[in-house]
Amino acid sequence: MTAIVFEGEPITLDEGETVLDGLLRLGHSIPHGCRSGVCQSCLLSATEIDKVANAQTGLSEAQKQLNFFLGCQCLPTEAMTVARVDADVSRIKATVMEKTQLNDQVWRLRLTADLDYRPGQYVTLWRDENLARSYSLASTHEQPWLEFHIRHYPEGEFSSWLVESLSKDDTLELNGPLGQFFYTAQSNDPMLMIAMGTGLAPIWGIVNEALMKQHRGPIEVVVGAKQAKDFYYREELGALQAQFDNLQVHWLSLDSDSPETANLYDYCQSNFSQLSDHKVYLCGGTSFVKKLRRHAFMAGASMRDIYADTFIAFGGEPG
Amino acid sequence: MSIYEKIGGEAAVDAAVDIFYRKVLADDRINEFFDTVDMESQHTKQKAFLTMAFGGPNSYTGKDMREAHKNMKLTEDHFNAVAENLVATLQDLNVGQEEIDAIIAVCLTVKDDVLNV
Repeated sequence: MTAIVFEGEPITLDEGETVLDGLLRLGHSIPHGCRSGVCQSCLLSATEIDKVANAQTGLSEAQKQLNFFLGCQCLPTEAMTVARVDADVSRIKATVMEKTQLNDQVWRLRLTADLDYRPGQYVTLWRDENLARSYSLASTHEQPWLEFHIRHYPEGEFSSWLVESLSKDDTLELNGPLGQFFYTAQSNDPMLMIAMGTGLAPIWGIVNEALMKQHRGPIEVVVGAKQAKDFYYREELGALQAQFDNLQVHWLSLDSDSPETANLYDYCQSNFSQLSDHKVYLCGGTSFVKKLRRHAFMAGASMRDIYADTFIAFGGEPG
Repeated sequence: MSIYEKIGGEAAVDAAVDIFYRKVLADDRINEFFDTVDMESQHTKQKAFLTMAFGGPNSYTGKDMREAHKNMKLTEDHFNAVAENLVATLQDLNVGQEEIDAIIAVCLTVKDDVLNV
């Protein structure tokens, strides 16, 4: 018999009983399927990674780093602490440190809050009990703030509030971090990162973390926008590129003010046609991610090396 | 020793699933069925399917197969196209003919369920 703690509740497992079976026996609602370690629907997370390493077969590198494991494959031999994945819904307080307009549509918000996260993950920001939106983290740990790139939709309730009403020193609540979109590559892995619009936010965070961790493999960053005037952080990315030989940034828009006038999808198909062994990061709208995920996979990237972060439309409308 | 263990277990499935799914998506006879599905979840299902076909630990049932392929109006030609892609995948991975035959034999046991006949 082994005792585990599940979300604060002590649970005693029977001899030879998996974590999944024990939780189900006690009436907890845990998604599950094959019970063979294949379907991955019974993902849980543990506090101590060394105790679940043998229940992580088949998981992605990001999932492993988040201490995720498969409940159906886990027979604990000593006490451990377990929780549902992404179960942390407790909110913390954040204070507005800076709010800056980056271009016609995009605002940069910097908040101070006590949050442990990986650059590229996302959090949910709350205006009040009824209104919340999720945004990706563009900052890194070296910075004493959390950074978000927020596109203002004039009809969007949340982004309009943020642009029109939120001021320095105001407080708001957030919960997270969530998601598996962060740097997991080995130092020599080639990386391809493709961002549409404010999809640059998590990618900016991940590029900075990769370079700070002295990533040695080539890093290609492709930034797309409808018009060149929608770009932001061109100087900042240019400075990084000047500093690091292995970083190459491509700016693509459909008008001629851009260094490259090209359809992003066609450009990626012809310029990045061999992606075996690449770590691929995609961030943008649903159809953008879908098309490029397919391209990256068909070009040889392994499915588990393709990380995608898709903009979520809340209630059918972007915020 | 099961075929699953013989060809290398989980690692063999991992190696096979990307190659197999890529072949399926490139095959004009069947790729339209995959246009609207989420690639990540489909990839997980393909892995479960290959684990079953290789005789590995699984809980696939004929009923699941039947339900998953309901209303798709699949024909014998579609089934054969998938089987051909699987054979080509195994050949790419240098799996012996004897093992390939045994794997295809497993696939044939779920054929009626897949075609919903």
